[in-house]
Amino acid sequence: MQSKLAVSSSPFLRNTAVSTRDLMLDVILALLPTVVASVWFFGAPALALILVSVFFAVLAEWVYKKLLHEKSTISDLSAVVTGLLLAFNLPASAPWWMAAIGSVIAIVLVKQLFGGIGQNFMNPALAARTILMLSWTGLMAANAMPNGGQILGLGKEAADVVTSATPLVNGNYTLWQLMIGDVPGMLGETCKLTLILGGVYLILRQVIDWRVPVSFMATAFVLFWIQTGTIYSVQSGTDNAVYQLFSGGLILGAFFMATDYVTCPVTRRGRVIMGVGCALLLFVIRFYNNGYPEGCSFAILFMNILTPLIDKFTAPRSFGVSKPAAQKSGRKGGAKA
Amino acid sequence: MKKNNLLRVFTNGILNENPTFRLLLGMCPTLAISTAASSGVGMGLAATFVLVFSNIVISSLRRIIPEKVRIPCFIVVIATFVTIIDLVIKAFLTSLSDTLGIFIPLIVVNCIIFARAEAFAFKNPVLPSAMDGLGMGLGFTCSLTLLSSVREIIGAGTWFGMQVMPQGYEPMAIITKPTGGFITLGLLLLIVNALVKHFQKRRNKKAEEGIA
Amino acid sequence: MSTVHKFPGGIHPQEGKGGKAVTAGLAMVKVPQPSRVTIPLQQHMGAPCKPLVEKDDVVKVGQMIGEPVGAMSAAVHASVSGKVVGCEPCILANGTQCLSVIIDNDFQDEWVPATRVEAPESMSVQELSDMVRRMGIVGMGGATFPTAVKLNIPAGKPVDTLILNGAECEPYLSADHRLMLEKSEAIVSGARVIQKVLGIKTVQIGIEDNKPDAVQAMSKACAAYPEFSVTALKTQYPQGGEKQLVYALTGRKVKMGGLPLDQGVVVCNVGTCYAVHVAAYEGRPVVERVVTVGGCVKNPANYLVRIGTPVEWLLNASEGLLPETRMLIYGGPMMGMAISRTDIPVTKGCSGIVALERTDALQEEGPCIRCGRCIQACPMQLAPASIDRFMRRDMYEAAEKLNVMNCIECGCCAWSCPAKRNLTQSCRVCKRIITQRRREQAAKKGAN
Repeated sequence: MQSKLAVSSSPFLRNTAVSTRDLMLDVILALLPTVVASVWFFGAPALALILVSVFFAVLAEWVYKKLLHEKSTISDLSAVVTGLLLAFNLPASAPWWMAAIGSVIAIVLVKQLFGGIGQNFMNPALAARTILMLSWTGLMAANAMPNGGQILGLGKEAADVVTSATPLVNGNYTLWQLMIGDVPGMLGETCKLTLILGGVYLILRQVIDWRVPVSFMATAFVLFWIQTGTIYSVQSGTDNAVYQLFSGGLILGAFFMATDYVTCPVTRRGRVIMGVGCALLLFVIRFYNNGYPEGCSFAILFMNILTPLIDKFTAPRSFGVSKPAAQKSGRKGGAKA
Repeated sequence: MKKNNLLRVFTNGILNENPTFRLLLGMCPTLAISTAASSGVGMGLAATFVLVFSNIVISSLRRIIPEKVRIPCFIVVIATFVTIIDLVIKAFLTSLSDTLGIFIPLIVVNCIIFARAEAFAFKNPVLPSAMDGLGMGLGFTCSLTLLSSVREIIGAGTWFGMQVMPQGYEPMAIITKPTGGFITLGLLLLIVNALVKHFQKRRNKKAEEGIA
Repeated sequence: MSTVHKFPGGIHPQEGKGGKAVTAGLAMVKVPQPSRVTIPLQQHMGAPCKPLVEKDDVVKVGQMIGEPVGAMSAAVHASVSGKVVGCEPCILANGTQCLSVIIDNDFQDEWVPATRVEAPESMSVQELSDMVRRMGIVGMGGATFPTAVKLNIPAGKPVDTLILNGAECEPYLSADHRLMLEKSEAIVSGARVIQKVLGIKTVQIGIEDNKPDAVQAMSKACAAYPEFSVTALKTQYPQGGEKQLVYALTGRKVKMGGLPLDQGVVVCNVGTCYAVHVAAYEGRPVVERVVTVGGCVKNPANYLVRIGTPVEWLLNASEGLLPETRMLIYGGPMMGMAISRTDIPVTKGCSGIVALERTDALQEEGPCIRCGRCIQACPMQLAPASIDRFMRRDMYEAAEKLNVMNCIECGCCAWSCPAKRNLTQSCRVCKRIITQRRREQAAKKGAN
């Protein structure tokens, strides 16, 4: 009859709908609309940067594994996600070698040297962005002016790369411009509509936990509201909560950076703490720090480092285990002994 | 035989027990002043001077210094030579003194010097102690020079103040910042450890072949 | 009616070919008796029975062939009439060897005289417990915990609720479902015996809401008894886990290492209640049980099987495995055991034989990406990923601090892991090693 029956330990059914690769593929899908938006507004340089960044991220991962004689892990697509996210954090005017160096830093220095996927203590793309930012502040701070449709020849004339202050400094943009991304800024952070679209997709697919982005954005909104005293008004320029919420990298960070599995707490409560903490730090850096107008990456990186601590304190209390009582009785027993 | 031993003590400090890369001693000045090659060399030589002379003095006084108060005695000896070199640098190498600043007086508490006084000079005769101080000092100087050269070339595009990188090179500023110090040191340690592992493997293989 | 509580975590495993939907509609079929049965003397948690027969003895159906030894034990009976061929070790589904009585069937199906109980509902607790032990009744859901121990409630322990477990949350299985449809009166009658003897006020029957016909049948069967109530539970694995079921129906949480009894609850599988009815009113011991043969077999079915029938016999009754079969599972696919040979006998705890065309559990493990799915899925609110990490580094004390002993090995964590890590196996390893160490420590203390 049956010649070969396989044996293993239970359970014998596994969720075939979810694998690491599928999750990464979903994130890539969610990022694609933003890729389109950034290419639309920032043109061919944006596309070139994204391609270079992804290419070098995958190459770095492949070469590293090859050098160590380990099994290649590029098929889990996590390097592609890192490359995309890194490119999203570069201005369109950035030279290609910066994207390449950033990708190598992200993959080798931040991810692989700590043990590869699942072991990095910081978000690789954000850590690499920060290193680039501290290395070539001038190049990174140049915010390219958007020029919608230039790649199809529809843009304004002679609109090569012109730099301008970000919406965080210059409050002359309309809410619509902020939403569709017709503002200067990093490649992937300007178009809020596609970012929210991708984020909602990931939440609906249960790839990311809604707690992180929701608590992040809600806390940030309330803090901005308290600080500025207005929800929205055109006259107040940058000084209103809605304008602040949709400026800078907040939306990108909330949906795609702070939710990175590896560097985000695993418990539900921990994820809320993660979101609130990111918002608090972002708020403090934006309003009380003159060195950097934008604090999203620093805020998330800081919370990344706190993640093991958050995990420790929000560890689930097992069903039917009364923790404080157990500890008390344990202590009493110890004292008696 | 004796000569051979002295040579071994000397090379030991430079290679096998290199204070920075193998013993991980004296990390504070290593990270702090390795932003430029010149300050690396200056710091290394200053530390070498102190190491050699404090080793000689402590070794020759090792029978006189009581065991219980040896640490204060070490400090007095080391501080003497640190003061000498501090004043010398201030007098003749003003620019170096400006860049190194507080880190020259801080050689007093550099753990390499303490470690060698405690672990070697206090137990060995004068000549080997002097050789040990020289070896350790030069080892420290070499590794500081290496680290600071890498940091200066990548972080500023220059070496000993000379432009070495091509014109279009955009220096990677973070490498000259404290963060960069940690990153560069970590990566150099990685390379050194990989090399050590490689050589050990080769030596083991040779030994095995020799036996066979 | 009380409110239904939602236990934490849980999953919805997908079924493949020949799942519940196929077998649930098929009435129980008496499978022909095999020419030879192998009856293991250990079909319960606890020490194996002492054999009462020797080679060449002639036995009748229902004759006790294994006498219970120690408190955690239940008798074993001959399931066919015929001649004892031998009493030798045979291999069980979990790979261990167990002394078994092998009987050649004479196909006379001659029974020993029934030992009926007069007025079962007025037995004392001790009498009921003795009868259950004598009749070889164990937890028929698969855990095979001796029912006598469960029912022998120490005096002074208040018990107010009896829960009948008809959740049957394991994919592919429909044995309990069919039993509830076809033997609903008998199940209720068995439950009434337990209820009356133990003086329990309320009886709750928990059934997953994917079996509306069973809910209806059971409601009808117990309509005459006001103490009984049937609750349709959300279909979610592991709804049939004892602790989950107690929580869902009563809102009481069974403590780590504790029993439902500590919360005033006794939980019995519907199959166990049926066995109690058969023992009390018909005077017959456990010699057969319902087994679902599902998945990749030509004719999935629910069989009424004599204990000791080899798995192969059942597969042949279903006209064999489909060629795409890759794994054969003894029990349910979440908590059962994979078997590589088909000469293994059906025991009292075997609720199904499932042939799978998939080898999900053999997929290569990837690194943990800390997605937290296992934590969200764990019905016992553990952190399987952390336990797994500690297990791989031999840090069992750390795993113990994470309450790994509370794990029910339901498999939710491994099911939900995107990196396909065998998290349940890690928890299992931790539990075994910690139990072993505790035992060693206790032995050391005893020696001192």
